[in-house]
Amino acid sequence: MDIIEIKSVTKVYKPLDFWKNDRVVGIDNLSLKIKKGEVFGLLGLNGAGKTTLMKILLGLLKPTSGSVNILGSNIEDEKIRAKIGYLSELPYFPKYLKAKEILAYFAEILGLPENTKKERINSVLKTVRLTEKAETRIKGFSKGMQGRLGLAQAILNDPEILFLDEPMSGLDPLGYKETRDIILDLNRRGRTIFFNSHILSEVEKICNRVGILHKGKLIDVQPAAKVIKKYKNLENYFVRMVAPGGVK
Amino acid sequence: MRNILAVTDYIFKQSFRNRILNVLILFAVFTIGFSLVISELAQEAEIKIVMDFGLFAIGLFAFLTLVLSVTVQMFEETELKTLMLIMVKPIKRHEYIIGKYMGIIATVFMNVLIMLCILMVIISLRGGDPWDIKLLAAAGYSFASVALLSSVALLLSVVTTSVPGCIIFLVFIYALGHLTIHLKNLTADSNNAVLKFCVDVVYYLVPNLELFNLKDKIFSTEALFAPGYLGFVAGYTLLYVAVILTVTSVIFKNKEFY
Ligand SMILES: Nc1ncnc2c1ncn2[C@@H]1O[C@H](COP(=O)(O)OP(=O)(O)O)[C@@H](O)[C@H]1O
Ligand SMILES: [Mg+2]
Repeated sequence: MDIIEIKSVTKVYKPLDFWKNDRVVGIDNLSLKIKKGEVFGLLGLNGAGKTTLMKILLGLLKPTSGSVNILGSNIEDEKIRAKIGYLSELPYFPKYLKAKEILAYFAEILGLPENTKKERINSVLKTVRLTEKAETRIKGFSKGMQGRLGLAQAILNDPEILFLDEPMSGLDPLGYKETRDIILDLNRRGRTIFFNSHILSEVEKICNRVGILHKGKLIDVQPAAKVIKKYKNLENYFVRMVAPGGVK
Repeated sequence: MRNILAVTDYIFKQSFRNRILNVLILFAVFTIGFSLVISELAQEAEIKIVMDFGLFAIGLFAFLTLVLSVTVQMFEETELKTLMLIMVKPIKRHEYIIGKYMGIIATVFMNVLIMLCILMVIISLRGGDPWDIKLLAAAGYSFASVALLSSVALLLSVVTTSVPGCIIFLVFIYALGHLTIHLKNLTADSNNAVLKFCVDVVYYLVPNLELFNLKDKIFSTEALFAPGYLGFVAGYTLLYVAVILTVTSVIFKNKEFY
């Protein structure tokens, strides 16, 4: 079953400068299907369009043309949104709030049952190694700790599909491993993960399938095992694909 | 409903955690205290001045509360991008707008209430009647006018992308809101149809804030406190807020998050 279905999506950004016609094509006629239970890693250089694509999938941006199907329906449906988790690129949180208060606010909006809410919050705090910081204001959080809190809010509802935009950036090596363990654990329980990253060594360890996004176009999609077999590691594959004048 | 209240609670908490609002209360105390010091007049006149000045301060600081509260929120939404994390959760966009509106007016209400209490204490210390219905009504009107402006502030925060832009517009509308009625009166006898039309457009679009200004009339006209007038102003406020929040929700529904 295709849990995410992207059909000929194009996103053209409005000109940044009203007087110039500098329209940027963020995503160029992209189609892709993700199956339930997959861990899909999207690779691409800075500015390739990874964030743009993710925001379109999440309904934060509207595609200029094309359409997206999530869990057999539309992301505008709240029932669908209740089943997904999202970690944005470099999340920041209001500095006067405590970690626990932020999670309580999100849990409330997610509609988690009142009787298990507290337990669930404590459990995700433990998962991301923030139990001791539960009552600390964000003011006292490092960048990496905010990233971990971002991950905590993304898995609060034990989502069917988890969307992660550069989940590893800003984390320490232990943070890499934790993120990986969280992803693998969710995946073991049948969850689907769609993420992008440029930490190729990590992507290699967790993905079933990888795609390469280059200048808004999806230039290649391969099973991870096949890529490793052919190119030895992701880096070789990636460099080959996106190098100027690179061969296909 | 649960979603709306969650947002309300969050916004309310946010306003009070950002210490700016506490400074504001101190400021109000200072201002009202000041009015106390300068009134070395006969008791009757002194109470009048204290009440006048106090109500003026309440109106002004209630508006400032709104301005600061909107600034803090817009900053958080645009700079921190936490809003994106909320918008992908199962909350409807209009629920967010309504929750936010209620959070803002709860903050303003809290501040007006505290300022009013302080003013009442001062008045009673000076031998006046703190439970004077006119005083309470005037403070209530002040709150209502800022509650109305809050809906306009939300609309502005959704259509503008820069915090200073939003605030400047809001202050502009605040000033214009106090002027439109005078503009209308001034042009009432004019023969210039175009001018009249323009003034009419502004008059009906911009909230008429002078409706809420009881301060100047507090010792004169009884009619302003008549149930009919109060009802009219309440109706005007509710209708205006409902229309503005609907427009805001529609725009917000189509908003993209870059
Ligand atoms: N709000 C915007 N307006 C115009 N262009 C944008 C906007 N956001 C991103 N872009 C452009 O779209 C392209 C893709 O950006 P993005 O999706 O952020 O890339 P990535 O996440 O892969 O680094 C870039 O060329 C970027 O400059
Ligand atoms: Mg990005």
